[in-house]
Amino acid sequence: MTTILLVEDEPDIRRFLRSTLAAEGYRVVESPTAERGAIDAGTHKPDLAIVDLALPDYDGAELIRDIRRWSSMPIVVLSARHQERTKIDALDAGADDYITKPFGVGELLARVRAALRHAARSPGGQELALGPVRVDIAKRRVLRDGAEVHLTPIEFRLFAYLAKHLGMVVTHRQLLAEVWGPSHVEHTHYLRIYMKQLRDKLEADPVQPRYLLTEPGVGYRLVAED
Amino acid sequence: MSWQKEWRGYAWALGATALCALLGLAMRERFDLVNVAMVYLLAVVIVALRYSRGPAILATVLAVATFDLLFVPPRGAFTVEDAQYLLTFAIMLAVGLIIGRLKRDVRLQADEQAKLEATAQTERVRSALLASISHDLRTPLAVMTGASSSLAERGERLSAEERFALARSIYEQAREMSERVAKLLQMTRLEAGAIALERDWGSIAEITGAVLARLREPLTGHRVVLELPDDLPLVRVDAALIDQVLSNLLENAARHTPIDTVIRLRARREAHELVISVEDYGPGLPPEDIERVFAKFEHGAAEARPGGMGLGLAICRAIVGLHGGRIWAEKLPLGGSAFRFTLPLEAPPSLPSEPALA
Repeated sequence: MTTILLVEDEPDIRRFLRSTLAAEGYRVVESPTAERGAIDAGTHKPDLAIVDLALPDYDGAELIRDIRRWSSMPIVVLSARHQERTKIDALDAGADDYITKPFGVGELLARVRAALRHAARSPGGQELALGPVRVDIAKRRVLRDGAEVHLTPIEFRLFAYLAKHLGMVVTHRQLLAEVWGPSHVEHTHYLRIYMKQLRDKLEADPVQPRYLLTEPGVGYRLVAED
Repeated sequence: MSWQKEWRGYAWALGATALCALLGLAMRERFDLVNVAMVYLLAVVIVALRYSRGPAILATVLAVATFDLLFVPPRGAFTVEDAQYLLTFAIMLAVGLIIGRLKRDVRLQADEQAKLEATAQTERVRSALLASISHDLRTPLAVMTGASSSLAERGERLSAEERFALARSIYEQAREMSERVAKLLQMTRLEAGAIALERDWGSIAEITGAVLARLREPLTGHRVVLELPDDLPLVRVDAALIDQVLSNLLENAARHTPIDTVIRLRARREAHELVISVEDYGPGLPPEDIERVFAKFEHGAAEARPGGMGLGLAICRAIVGLHGGRIWAEKLPLGGSAFRFTLPLEAPPSLPSEPALA
């Protein structure tokens, strides 16, 4: 049975999440504080954690950093609206995805499923399908309608990092550090230019992308067909 | 600053009386002494009007002294009979002081008036806010309370469809209400100056793509046509906030225009700025609304059923203003309205060529 750790201080929010998640067949462990959450994460070994970012005792991002020291379990954070900064801090601390309060359960369950799928996937190796585009990361091969598409080394590294976190959000900082190096984390314009190039090559409509999605002010997310 | 003004006042007092002396000397042959005294009085009045009490007193003293010395016979000396000119002095001084006093009163009154007006304005905004909250938030609250109590207390007597419909309407009302509360909070934070821009190089095309993906549902009834040149320059913006501006403009366009009409989103470079427009083919704004729609809690005059709290455009204006841009509305010549905003362009950042990086 899949176990989900729910770190949230509001009892009413815990209640509806508990009943929804339980109805989907998940086992739910509830922690009302970050401290309790850190302990429960160790003892219950959950498959995924949902962490509220506004906890009474300490910062949700700190809890995430704590968990990341020993576990790569997927973490989805619950954040308030218009609080881009806390959201980005949590993602940079190692959270995989976020959902903004208030949310419908449909949206939440989709995020949870995507995060669990991401965790279960073997790192790299598989072929990605983006409409008429097929990408084989291991072989560094991109085909569009069967014809080879050439990606520059940087474009490929960018795409590969997004593909490694398929379905999850990757922040600007993470992408810049990974592709260009830690001294370039402020150079967001690199991302704008290279993401445009990637979309021009891989998307049918680069302005309204279906696969290489923008999370304004936060980062990017690659989604693919199953 | 004020001591500088003070000194300038004394200099003026000196200059003005010197000028009067010269003028008086020129007049002496043809005019009565009284008229010369009038010229002096004029100088005192001018100094008193422009400057504080000190320069006015100096001007009076100098005026009486030079008048007595230069024009009252015997010229070139003060005599005992000249004591009567103490009266001239007293009158001039009184005029100078009265004018200074009048001037201060007028200024105080103006300040008072401005303060009263500001209070009235705050009061108006506050009552508009309360009216808006009571109308726009209480209706959904009433729906939610009623529908949820019906589910909680009478649920077992309802058919499955009825229960589903009630739950659905609670969900929709709650979503709508949370949108409104979020806008209210955002406006409050913008006004309080509590929002620091997180500026980064951003692409309008990219932000547009994200907005259109999110607004798929409210925009289903319209055809959105994009005119975004491929070589649009990057802008230094807070992407999450510009996202809100575009969202509000597109949602407004969808809300206020007939179904199946076109909404055009275009961006072009103009000198040192980017101009982004959302154009629609609706009824168009009446001229009296062109400015008013950007005020808080304002709805268009012809709007039968306002779809929001009238905060969307006020939020847009605040955000665009923070970025150093302008936002305005236009009635299009062929009907429909355009909402346009500008974002200043900065020198584009350099991008190392790829081999150097790889």
